[in-house]
Amino acid sequence: MMYTYKEKNNLIYKLNSRTAISYIFLLVLFSLIMSHPFFLLGLLLAVGVVIISADIVREWIVYLKVSLGFIIIIVLVNCIFVKAGRTVLWWGPYIPGLGKLRITLEALCYAVGMGLRFLVIISAFCLFNYTVHPDKLLKLLGKSGNRVVLALSLSTRLFPVMMGDYHRIKEVQRCRGVNFQEKRLWRKAQKYIPIMNIMLISGLERSFQLAEAMEARGYSLEGKSYYSLELWRPRDFVIFAALGLATALGIWLMILGVTDYQYYPVLNDINWKDGLQAGFFSMLLMIPAVLNWGWNKWPLLRSKI
Amino acid sequence: MAIVEIKDLTYYYPDTVKPALNKINLSINEGEYVLVMGGSGSGKSSLVKTIAGLIPEFYGGKIAGSLAIAGINSKKLDKKSFVQKVGIVFQDPESQLVMTNVEQELAFGLENLGLSTDLIRRRIMEVSGALSISSYQQSCHAELSGGLKQKVALASILAMQPDILILDEPTSQLDPVAGEEILTMIRRLNEENGITVILIEQRLERCFHLADRFLVMDKGKLVFNHTNSESIARWAGEKNSPFIPPLARLFAQTGFSRIPMTIKEGRSLINKVTGTQNSKNKQGKPVLNNVEVKKACEQSISKQTPLVIAEGVWFLYENGSEALKNINLRVNPGEILVLMGENAAGKTTLLKNLNGLLKPARGKICIANRDIKNMQVEELAGTVGYLSQNPNDYLFLDTVRAELEFTQKNLDINDPDKSEELLKRLDLLKYAEDNPRDLSSGERQRVALASILVSDPQLLLLDEPTRGLDYSLKAELGRILLELKEKGKAIILVTHDIEFAAEIASKVVLMSQGSIIGSGNKYEMLTRSTFYSPQISKLFSKINDNIVTFAEGVNYLQELINNREDSSAMLRSG
Repeated sequence: MMYTYKEKNNLIYKLNSRTAISYIFLLVLFSLIMSHPFFLLGLLLAVGVVIISADIVREWIVYLKVSLGFIIIIVLVNCIFVKAGRTVLWWGPYIPGLGKLRITLEALCYAVGMGLRFLVIISAFCLFNYTVHPDKLLKLLGKSGNRVVLALSLSTRLFPVMMGDYHRIKEVQRCRGVNFQEKRLWRKAQKYIPIMNIMLISGLERSFQLAEAMEARGYSLEGKSYYSLELWRPRDFVIFAALGLATALGIWLMILGVTDYQYYPVLNDINWKDGLQAGFFSMLLMIPAVLNWGWNKWPLLRSKI
Repeated sequence: MAIVEIKDLTYYYPDTVKPALNKINLSINEGEYVLVMGGSGSGKSSLVKTIAGLIPEFYGGKIAGSLAIAGINSKKLDKKSFVQKVGIVFQDPESQLVMTNVEQELAFGLENLGLSTDLIRRRIMEVSGALSISSYQQSCHAELSGGLKQKVALASILAMQPDILILDEPTSQLDPVAGEEILTMIRRLNEENGITVILIEQRLERCFHLADRFLVMDKGKLVFNHTNSESIARWAGEKNSPFIPPLARLFAQTGFSRIPMTIKEGRSLINKVTGTQNSKNKQGKPVLNNVEVKKACEQSISKQTPLVIAEGVWFLYENGSEALKNINLRVNPGEILVLMGENAAGKTTLLKNLNGLLKPARGKICIANRDIKNMQVEELAGTVGYLSQNPNDYLFLDTVRAELEFTQKNLDINDPDKSEELLKRLDLLKYAEDNPRDLSSGERQRVALASILVSDPQLLLLDEPTRGLDYSLKAELGRILLELKEKGKAIILVTHDIEFAAEIASKVVLMSQGSIIGSGNKYEMLTRSTFYSPQISKLFSKINDNIVTFAEGVNYLQELINNREDSSAMLRSG
């Protein structure tokens, strides 16, 4: 994660990590609970707008490209294996074990709905990965004295260092005549063993030195304190208010059954009112992007939030 | 009052029979700037780690004798007081930073001490302001340069407000500019804040004149302990110890009664010597006259066909930065070419283009009459040897001998005599069956060098080979490289170490921002420069501008003394 985090100068990066994580958590939670395609689309739109405003579109596209492959698999598997649904779009040939291939509109729509849900989750993950500082996250998970947190922090810090080690050692091996262009997989794997070996030995030596440096700075002392970097600003309260409203609206709509959608045996009717409600719900979740836009445009607003 | 008092201290690392520290007696006064010197494995680090409380607490082992910090016996000091009184900064910043961002790093030690958030915030503000790292507080370590990382490591210790600041080779992994900055900061802390500083450092020419106390360690013993810089210079001269800077060694070796510590003092002494001479001799008789200098240049421009020819070489990294711009270079067999210049000048990129790790965007590189455009690194490995900055990147096998055999096997070379001869020549035969990871830093570097030389390459590329080496190891490496040069090998090395370059270079190339901005023999390139001149050249600057090496300096100074004695004799007889 440390490898991907790079702070940019916009409001999304300058939120309290509790705000950012709550926002991302609610996005994922709603995408799992809601099944109506309008609401899933609304969630995707909201996270997309926030990602665009956070200036991580290039990174998001990479995530979307990877997701596309998974979505195609979801659609294919669903269309081929799910026999439910009454509106048959196409009758295919007889396949042993599966019977006659039968692709229905309901199965196709269900797969598209699942794909939308997958995209929301992946996009939320992308937002989390690029905009939440790992140190802040780790601090949230526990105080710095917590060994698990420290181990995680060290791993994230050392990841780029180890990547550097890997490239350097590979270069050195090539200079000693090791050819990594081997075609046979087993022989190729054998050539990588020395690299892993050196990385392991150097890693162990570095761990010892790190432990020594930590000891010299009193890591083993009892009675540690906890230093928090995080400030609460009006922007966090505004976003929390919007999240509160979105949660209340979401729960109310769930109780009313608006966020549910039945794909089988035939698709539920879709009416414009559902779209309007989903749009309103989505707009509440776009508040961080709106604030960011104002933050960039009006210095006065920036000073106030 | 003594802030550190050590009495009869002896220490054995676990499972060892030889003491790492042998009957040490030492007293350090409050506010002193102590310089600890000694070869690899002499016990310097063990001594400072004992003062920092890491020995025996962290390492285990057996210890005898006593240590008192500010008059309190270390056994009576609780861990918290120890950590608050003594802070230690290690050599590799990568191996001492724990958190991912700067502010968190500065807070780490303070959290361990249990300080309140307000106090931590205040300490972070103070220390980051004092060390000019405030603007990096929210930066991740991965985004920082080596020098900045070491500043963060220093700041994280200073935030704990120690009375004693220990630094174990803090600049060994840094380039000279960053190293200089760290040493300047340490001097300021000592002078302006009265912090007791205990420094282990290899770049003696930069800190020797600042020290109040000099300690020399050898085989676990404290063999020299004095507060007078002249005494150590004289002692080192008598014992032929390499642990004094070239300037002091020069005057000690030529028998001067006063030993200067700075170039300014040295020049004033020289002026006194030359001042007694008549006007005809005032400019001094050069050790090498112009004809000899020309000859020295011509030696390097040999009539042989160049082994390396680079013509109009350009290189671009993927991010679009032009790392090499129109590089033209020729290197002959039996020539040592030294590449110098600031960080990111393109020196390492040039080496990687020469051995095929990177391919030029434009231009041509020929090695041994072959255009290497379509050749892979592996194909070139038998002709071009490459030694990177970190010898640890080479070592993974169980024995030193196996490391050499590994390269031979990859390159289909079946010549056990060659490997045996190399082990002997690099003084590694006694370690042939040892694990290379158990050897000292200088020995590890020799093993890495041997693993390259075993393929008998015609061209040897070395990237910062003196980084982290002490004076004696550097001298040994220089001797090996000169020996290879004599055997007709061409050597290209990147270094920031001007003293080392002065001793071994045939030719010096200065690079800046991807371009060659000057090249020539070392007499042209390493004299008359404020920053790219060795101490010896600076000393004789405008007196005799043809002196670069230590031996030339000794000869010339001796000549000046003889001339002075002759003139005095003439005056007396007249």
